[in-house]
Amino acid sequence: MDVVLSENQSILQQATRRFVEAEHPVLATRKLADAGEAIAASAWQSCAAQGWIALFVPGAHGGMAEEAEGVIDAAIIAEELGRQVFAGPFASNAVAAFTIAQAGTDKQCAAHLPGLVSGETQAAWCFAGTGAQGGLEPGELTFSGNQINGAAGFVENGASADLLLVSARDGQGLSQCLVPTDHPSVTIEPLRSLDLGRGYATVRFENVAVDAGAQLGAAGNAGTLFERQLQLALVLQCAETIGLIDRAFEFTLEWVRERHAFGRPIGSFQALKHRLADHTAELEAAKAAVAYAAKAVQNQSSDAAIAVSIAKSQCGKQGVEIIRDCVQMHGGIGLTWEHDLHFYLRRAVANQSLLGTPAMHHERIAVLAGIEGETA
Amino acid sequence: MNLTVSSTDNLISTEDRDTEDERAFRLKAREWMHGKLPPRVVGQPFMDWDDKDLIETDRKTQRVLWDGGLAGITVPKEYGGLGLTRRHETIFGEEAMPYRLAWHLGNNYNIVIPVFLGHASEEQKQHYIPKMLNGEHIWAQMTSEPSGGSDLFGLITRAEKRGDKWSLNGSKIWTTGGEDSDIGLCLARTDPSLPKHQGLTMFIVDMHQPGMTVRPLTLVNGTRDFCQEFLDNVEVPLENIVGEVNGGWAVASTQLASERAATSRGWFIGAGASLPREQIEIASEPVKLAQELGLAETQRAKQIVGEVIALQALRELVAQRAGKGIDAGTLPPTTGGVASLANSTLNQHASELMSELAGPCGVTGPAKGGEPDPGIDRIWLFRIGGGTAEMLRNTISERHLGLPREPLPGKDVPFNQLKTNAAPTGA
Repeated sequence: MDVVLSENQSILQQATRRFVEAEHPVLATRKLADAGEAIAASAWQSCAAQGWIALFVPGAHGGMAEEAEGVIDAAIIAEELGRQVFAGPFASNAVAAFTIAQAGTDKQCAAHLPGLVSGETQAAWCFAGTGAQGGLEPGELTFSGNQINGAAGFVENGASADLLLVSARDGQGLSQCLVPTDHPSVTIEPLRSLDLGRGYATVRFENVAVDAGAQLGAAGNAGTLFERQLQLALVLQCAETIGLIDRAFEFTLEWVRERHAFGRPIGSFQALKHRLADHTAELEAAKAAVAYAAKAVQNQSSDAAIAVSIAKSQCGKQGVEIIRDCVQMHGGIGLTWEHDLHFYLRRAVANQSLLGTPAMHHERIAVLAGIEGETA
Repeated sequence: MNLTVSSTDNLISTEDRDTEDERAFRLKAREWMHGKLPPRVVGQPFMDWDDKDLIETDRKTQRVLWDGGLAGITVPKEYGGLGLTRRHETIFGEEAMPYRLAWHLGNNYNIVIPVFLGHASEEQKQHYIPKMLNGEHIWAQMTSEPSGGSDLFGLITRAEKRGDKWSLNGSKIWTTGGEDSDIGLCLARTDPSLPKHQGLTMFIVDMHQPGMTVRPLTLVNGTRDFCQEFLDNVEVPLENIVGEVNGGWAVASTQLASERAATSRGWFIGAGASLPREQIEIASEPVKLAQELGLAETQRAKQIVGEVIALQALRELVAQRAGKGIDAGTLPPTTGGVASLANSTLNQHASELMSELAGPCGVTGPAKGGEPDPGIDRIWLFRIGGGTAEMLRNTISERHLGLPREPLPGKDVPFNQLKTNAAPTGA
């Protein structure tokens, strides 16, 4: 995160680190993966009790948004979660709570937000297409005649959620609604996931009728809020990647200092030192970009959209590049199941590919910079 | 070749943080510079040693600042400075944004003053520092030699005491602005029978005296910013040494540390490279190039353009982060080198992508936007100049990451028994 934090943010960072190290270390993710299970509902509730979702929810509905800088604070948390490859549904619930708090009626807020804040309700966000281009824009879902049709791909936490936040194309616009996962015309198909600590699903909607009480905001008018949701999700993803790289880099540094070959610590060989120096530089640039993006999204700056795509470009590319090289520097041990590195690498690769690949974000940056216009 | 002056759009002023005393300083600086300094011209090189008028302009600018009591902001008063704080320097930089500053005198304030404050005699400080601040002297650093660049302390320029003079023989190279400098700091070997770090001494040398031949080097792109010097029995008064005889290593270490520190905080005072902006600066050249080449609608061009914009923005963001963190004490000072390396790597990548975007139009003339070039500029500027990227990687890995040093087999061997690229003269 930023190199200068407020006192409250420092406290949040330290408290979150202690909590996650004690309650949800990477070992917990490993145990869930070995058992083929998702995080227990009670375990997620104990996380939510830390106030993680409350950041986005006003006091009137059980939250503390008034006392928080929601996006920046959540990014601080996400970074800590990345350090231990946390296996719980933080981003999906955060985006849902943020969206409902922004666009929901009092009744909708009262119905859903307290449950999200306490963790008793879990949400997932359905918007992406199901193909290789899915993730950065609204995909195949349509909203027409008060019915949702189509499929949403790569839905994080889809199989464990109670509530679906749906973003669907509505003529030229975009509509958003809330649909319970137990709706009879909703089918949830869990997907196999490279990331062993996070589940994804394809969610299919077949003539899912949505009454007015389930629509979020005015029909066809959700485009601006959708962009902010996407920005929030990307900030959290990138901040998490920073945590992944930071931690993997820490134990790689420890390893190259202690591991000896040819009578020397392997960390004294330039072949490794120079790569580690390069990674340090790229990581520092990634941190700078994420800190800037978090602030820009928090303040709704006019460059927030481009800022998150710059962050995603750097985090997406370098998360994988650096952690893969951490595996390389560990040699054979880095390839074993028992070493934690593969959990970090899997999450980094997943984060690179979801919510738009770096190349997709490069296209987005060019368009935001006016490449399609007459003049730059 | 040259780093050019960038736009000052969206820079955030820290004026609202001024104390009463700082406010007075700000207003004094603002008032004095108004109408007296040349304007800042975006795209103009910070330095161009072939442009003699620009060098003269910079000398005059330094004189104007001196006359207005604005030179040497953090330099102690007894040596002609103002004895003020880094905060005052920031304020000055903000107020100087509309102007061109004395950027050809960068060695004076970035390197030679810190070296003098750390190692020179009281007499030397009183004699030389005011002349550095009033624009009378431009200083050069004569450090690298043709026989070895990165292995600085393996240098072979010889200094021998002959009667009441030192006599220097050898050659120096990569001296920025050597031809137009007045005085140089010159590191030479005074005792080859000692191990290589121990037999060195730092000399103050007149650049235009008998025995000294200064020859500009023409680089691949035609620029002539660097010189090679040939020293043929150059005589130096006995008192013209900085620090102790055979104590040059300590002086040179301060010199190198000052260079690193200045590079990381932005070499050119008032250049604004690491000042926070209100908005990300979006590079416009890639969009323009794609449009001019008729590629703007293609996915390939969009991907390249977007990535170049990202890389250029990251260069600024990482510099700002390092500056802010170092100032606040939340990042170690060594982060400056990390930001430098990031700058070099990101820029290299961006340049390669621009070449890829231009394709055949980038290698044939008449090219859109300047002479076709094989990419020498980016190699020099970011990967060799001011110390190679390889040395920077050593520094980062050893000082920032705390990794063990490479074993140095010749460390305790007398220098004249070491294998070098040329036999030491004398001894």
